[in-house]
Amino acid sequence: MADAAFVALSVLTVGSAIAALELRSMIYGSIALMGTLGGIAGFFFLLDSPFVALFQIAVYVGSIAVLILFTVMLVRRELIFKKVEDPRRRLAGIGLMLVFMVAVGAVVLDSGIKQVSAGGPPVEFTEIGEDFLTYYWPALVLMALVLAASVTGALVLARREEPDGAAAAAEIPAAAGEGPGAGEAGAEGVEHGQRAG
Amino acid sequence: MSVIAPKFRLGYFLKSLTDNAFWSVVLLTLVGVPIIQIVLFYVELPVVDGELVNPFLALTWLSHPESIVPLVKALLYTDVFRIAVFPGFGFAALVAAGTIFVERKMLAKMQLRVGPFYCGKVEGILQLMGDGLKLISKEIIVPARADKPLFIVAPLLFVGTAAALVALIPVAPGWVVADVDMGLLAAFAVIGFFPIITILSAWSANSKFPFIGGIRALHQMVSFEIPLILSCLGVVILTGTLNLSEIAASQAFFPWILFLPVGAIVFFVCALAELERIPFDLPEAESEIVAGWLTELSGMMYGLVQLGSYVKLYAFAALFVVLFLGGWSGPLLWPPLDEQLINDGINAGPVSAAVPGLPLFSMEFFSAVIWFVLKTAAVIFFILLPRGVFPRIRIDMLLQIGWYRLIGLAFVNIFIALGLVYAGVIGPGGVI
Repeated sequence: MADAAFVALSVLTVGSAIAALELRSMIYGSIALMGTLGGIAGFFFLLDSPFVALFQIAVYVGSIAVLILFTVMLVRRELIFKKVEDPRRRLAGIGLMLVFMVAVGAVVLDSGIKQVSAGGPPVEFTEIGEDFLTYYWPALVLMALVLAASVTGALVLARREEPDGAAAAAEIPAAAGEGPGAGEAGAEGVEHGQRAG
Repeated sequence: MSVIAPKFRLGYFLKSLTDNAFWSVVLLTLVGVPIIQIVLFYVELPVVDGELVNPFLALTWLSHPESIVPLVKALLYTDVFRIAVFPGFGFAALVAAGTIFVERKMLAKMQLRVGPFYCGKVEGILQLMGDGLKLISKEIIVPARADKPLFIVAPLLFVGTAAALVALIPVAPGWVVADVDMGLLAAFAVIGFFPIITILSAWSANSKFPFIGGIRALHQMVSFEIPLILSCLGVVILTGTLNLSEIAASQAFFPWILFLPVGAIVFFVCALAELERIPFDLPEAESEIVAGWLTELSGMMYGLVQLGSYVKLYAFAALFVVLFLGGWSGPLLWPPLDEQLINDGINAGPVSAAVPGLPLFSMEFFSAVIWFVLKTAAVIFFILLPRGVFPRIRIDMLLQIGWYRLIGLAFVNIFIALGLVYAGVIGPGGVI
């Protein structure tokens, strides 16, 4: 059962990853990317960690994929694809992928794990919180600093350059312009807040 | 002679009735009965108690309550029943239908209008059914150069996602479709799908108004999801669990809204924005952008989106009840039935009736469901109320409220919860 689910999830994840690269329509490509991220969430479910899996869905499928979709819709395709495609690049990419997959496969085969066993007790999220506050506290502090830096960076990037005279008059539109930029940072902030709690 | 049917004559009417009866009898005997017999010939009938179950025996069973009660009981505990009927989609759709009727009549009364009036004699109670029939019978138009697969799938996905949200909500002790340990997180994961579906539907219509509405919806939903999640953290800190059934059960004595009123207010405002209700209905601002992201949807596709949005409304109201208002907990409305009545049935003089297996539900269950529905109805009433009172606000004000006020208030709520825990008032090892 678990093996079948593993194989199905692998097919879904890898297949939609290939589709995300190869589809000509960028919207369908980003939908395929959502499939990949959802497949990874499925792997986390198989590994008995529903907490991480649900965060994978909520943050990656729910927020990051939406931002990618949003960007793709608002940016014209000609601005992204300037380069003429070279068939050799694709062959090189496929070759690199094969080398990587053979290497990873050798590691997996060497490890002696023959089957997936699911159905163990799920990892308690309270334990994750305890670990973060005790043994892994430097990682927590580092994460907090990185997130604070990214929030500040998003605010700086989202700020509009206004001429001096118009600054006071254009205060309200400037505030509205902060929405999408700050959205990304905010979503990460939530993730961090949940983990810390 | 009536105006509607000018050529009406009673003789013709009676003739049509007798004609219909004649043809029904002829078709049934020539086609229907042979088909039934052929089917019965090939179908392998089960043997129960050494007796072959033929249709006559099955009909006999149906008229005997002591045989039918266990069947009904078994049906009540199947997954299909839970998903389709009681705590799942059917119940939510029923509440949604009631919500639509109450909304129309209540808003009309608030604004000194009449509201639906003619359809169904009593206060236009059949108006919704008429609207539904109209939507089903209308043609589904796909706009030119629209992205057809996405455009057609999006309303179905919207209803499906709303139903998935409903599936996580416990209505009574043990009555929930999916009782997952991470229920609250799962609810947020499901809520995260709504903006994607909205923007995909808006984009695939290949039209300007839906696209503007879709982008507005995206801004609004994504930015209000954050205070929505943060406002629930207080409850999670106090209960120490993410399971919605346990959160509801933890409020047997007092609801969390008494301790976390700030969080409840933030959750309520965010729910209004997530549901695109007035005053936050910018994605479908009918006076500016026709109907927003719903503009190009026609026929039953529009009906599905409306159904989905009202099911979503029920789900958010129920989530509010579970998190802050104590879920199903409340005083017992009717004392539990005594053992004698359950075991021996009714014995009142000449009348005696004893059916093993009855009653199907305990009185605690009825009390729980009634309290849950009453609380949910109250929350739905407060969600509907602003529509009759407030104007629509500007999008910059909306984002200002979401990013500055609500997130700040949500953090205040978290600190209140932490203060309560560390002061030893409630929570593990607390005074209460």
